[in-house]
Amino acid sequence: MSLLSDVLVILLNGLQQGAIYVLLAVGLSIILGTLKFVNFAHGALYLVGTYAGLFVALNVPLSNGKLAEWGFSSFGLDIGFLAALLFVPLFVFGVGLLMERYLARAFYDRPDTDQILVTFGLAIVVQELFRVLFGSNSLPFEQPERILSVGSFAGIPVSGPIALPIVGNFPQWRLWVIGITAVLVALVYLLVEYTDFGLVVRAGTRDAEMVRLLGIKITRPYIVVFGIGAALAGVAGVVGGPLNVVNPTIGTNILVPAFLTVVIGGVGSIAGAVLGGIVFGLTTAALVSFAPAWSQVGLYAIAAIVLLTRPQGLLGDEEVTP
Amino acid sequence: MSEKDANPSAKDALVGGTLFGRWEKLRGREGTVVGITAILVAVFPYLFARAPVVSGFLQGYQSLATLILIWGIFAIGFDLLLGYTGLLSFGHAAFWGGAAYAAGIVAKNVSGDPIVMVVSGTLFAVLLAWVLGFLSLRRGGIYFSILTLAFAQMFYYMAASPLAFLTNGENGLTGVEVGSFLGVIHLEADVPSIGGMLLGTWLYAFVGVFFVGAVAVAYRILNSPYGMVFRAIRENEQRAEFVGLNVWRYKLMAFIISGGFAGVAGSLFTIHGAYVPLQSLFWTESGDIVVMTVLGGAGSMFGPVLGVGLYLYIENIVSTIQALTIPFTGIVLVRDFGFYWHLLLGVVFVAVVWVVPDGLWGILNRLRELAVDLGSKAAKRLRARSENGGGGQ
Repeated sequence: MSLLSDVLVILLNGLQQGAIYVLLAVGLSIILGTLKFVNFAHGALYLVGTYAGLFVALNVPLSNGKLAEWGFSSFGLDIGFLAALLFVPLFVFGVGLLMERYLARAFYDRPDTDQILVTFGLAIVVQELFRVLFGSNSLPFEQPERILSVGSFAGIPVSGPIALPIVGNFPQWRLWVIGITAVLVALVYLLVEYTDFGLVVRAGTRDAEMVRLLGIKITRPYIVVFGIGAALAGVAGVVGGPLNVVNPTIGTNILVPAFLTVVIGGVGSIAGAVLGGIVFGLTTAALVSFAPAWSQVGLYAIAAIVLLTRPQGLLGDEEVTP
Repeated sequence: MSEKDANPSAKDALVGGTLFGRWEKLRGREGTVVGITAILVAVFPYLFARAPVVSGFLQGYQSLATLILIWGIFAIGFDLLLGYTGLLSFGHAAFWGGAAYAAGIVAKNVSGDPIVMVVSGTLFAVLLAWVLGFLSLRRGGIYFSILTLAFAQMFYYMAASPLAFLTNGENGLTGVEVGSFLGVIHLEADVPSIGGMLLGTWLYAFVGVFFVGAVAVAYRILNSPYGMVFRAIRENEQRAEFVGLNVWRYKLMAFIISGGFAGVAGSLFTIHGAYVPLQSLFWTESGDIVVMTVLGGAGSMFGPVLGVGLYLYIENIVSTIQALTIPFTGIVLVRDFGFYWHLLLGVVFVAVVWVVPDGLWGILNRLRELAVDLGSKAAKRLRARSENGGGGQ
C-alpha cells in the first residue's frame, strides 16, 4: 500500500461517511432555513427510513419485542433493494407531510425552545415505539448482492469489492452510496434554484409575509419542503442502513452529527450542507486511520472551532446576532 | 362590598380569611420556603419507603428517595438557566458527568472524604461551565443549544477513549471507595432512633442537607435583584441590554451557577452509587434533565423537583409493574405495562410541551388559584348572607 492509495481510500471512505451526513443535513437545512423550524425529530425520520427500507427490501426474522410476541416471526416484503429505494422515500415523504401539517404548523409561532422540546419529545416517542415493537437488539440489514435481477438477467452487482485503479479493491456499495447521494442532492439543488417552486420557496425564506401579500399560498410550498427534507432522511436511512447497525437508537445517535453538519455548513445553504458533510466525513475517516481513539472527538472539535471562528457557518451568509 | 369587607363582624368567614391571608403572606418568605422544604425532605423517605399504608401503595425504597433528591438539585440548577434565564442547554451532562468523574477520581487518588469529593466535583463543574459558557454563549437561540450539545458530546467521546486511562472508558469508573463523613459517620449506616425511622441512612441526611441548601440558595438568587435580571433577560434580552445591563455577563453567570448545581448533584451521584457510568456524560442524560424540568414546570422553583420525582418514579417503579389492572377488580387493562414506561413518558412529555408549557406545577398552580378564587367567593357570599340576615331581623 502506497501513501497515495492510503490517501485515496481515506478520501473515498470519508465521502461515503459524509454522504449520509449530507443527506440528513440537506433536509434539515432546507427545513430550518425555509420554515425556520428546528427539527430534533429528523433522526427519527432516519430511523423510520431504515426500518422501512429493511421491511421492503428484505425479510428478517424477529426474536425480540412485541411484534415477535404477537406472533410475527419475521418482518418484511423481501422485494428487493431497488424497491426500497423507490418506496421508502415516498413513504417518509408522506410522514413528513403529516408531521408538518399536524405538528410543525402548530409551532411556527412559538419560541425556538418549544420547537426543540416538542420535536425532541417526538424523537423519544418514535424511538421507544420501535423499541417496543422490534426490541432493543440490532437487526441484520444485509447489503444487497445485485439489483435489477429480472428473469434471466442476472442484474447489476452492487456489493462486494471492486478493483479501482491505484486504490485496489474497494467495497462497491460505498461507491453506490456516494453516487446516490450526489444525484439526489443535485436534484434538490436544481429544484430549489431553477424552478418556479424553488423561487417561491426562496422568496418565502427572505420574506414570507411579502410572498403572502403577493397572493401566493405559501403553506403549500412549505409542506412540500418539509416532505422533501423528510424523504432525504428516509433515503439516508435506506442507503446507510446496511453500513451501520440497525437498532432503535440510531436515530438519536445520528441527529447530533447531522445538526452539526448543518450548523458548520451554514443554515439554509445546500452547498454548505454538502461541504459540512464532506469535512466531517473526511475528518472522521482520517482520524479512524491515524488516531482511532480520537475519531469521534475530532468531529466535535472541528464543529466547535468553526462555530467560534465563523459563527454563521462555512458558507452561511445570514447575519449573526451574538 | 368594600365596606362589608372592612367590617369584622362576620366572624366565621373572616377567621378563614385572615388565616388564609396570613398564610398567603407567609408562603412567599424565604424562611417558610426553606423550613417547609426541610420538613418535607425529612418525612419524604418515611412516607415513600416505610410508612404503613402509603409506602405500600407507592412501593418506594430508600435509595430511590436519595436519588430523587440528587436529581432534584440538578433540576433546580437547570431550571435557573432554562426556566428563569430562558437558555436551553443540551449539554448539562458535561457538568453532571464531569463532576461525577472528578469526584470519583479524587476519591480514588486523593481522599474519599465525602466533603472533599463534593467540593472537588463542584469546583470542576464550575470551571468547566465557565469555559463552555464562555464559548457557547457567543450564539443565542438554537445555536446555543447545539453548541452546548457539541461540547458535551466531545467530553463524552474524550472520556470514552482518549482519556480512558483516567476514566476507565466504556466500563465506567469502578472501585470508588467513599470514606466516612468527618471520619466517624459511615454514610451507608442507618441514622439512630427516630431519625432513622424518618430519614433512613446517613447518606440521605447528607444529600438532604445539600438539597435544602440548594433550595435556599436558588430561592435567594431568584428573589434578589440579580435573579430579577435573569428574568428580564428571558423576557426581552434586547430591552435588558438597552436598560444598561451587561446581558452577556449575567447569562454567563446563570450558566456557571447552573453548572455548579449540576456539579454538586453529580458529585453526590458518585457518593450515592460509588460508581460513575460512562453514560452519565452522554447527551441523553442532558435530554433527561430537560424532560424532567419541563415536565415538572420550567420557571418555577419546585416544579422541576416534581418532574424529577415523577420521571424517576416511572423509570424505577412503574417500569416494574407487570400488568395494569383496574383497582379491586383484577381486570387486566394492559399486560407488561412497565415495558412501555419510556414510551409513556415521551407521550406525556410531548403533551405537556404542546398543551401546558408551564408543566405539572403550572396545572397545580392553576388548580390552587381556582380553589382560592372559589373560596373567597364563597366567603363573600357567606358574609353577605349573614349581614343580610342580621339586617332583616
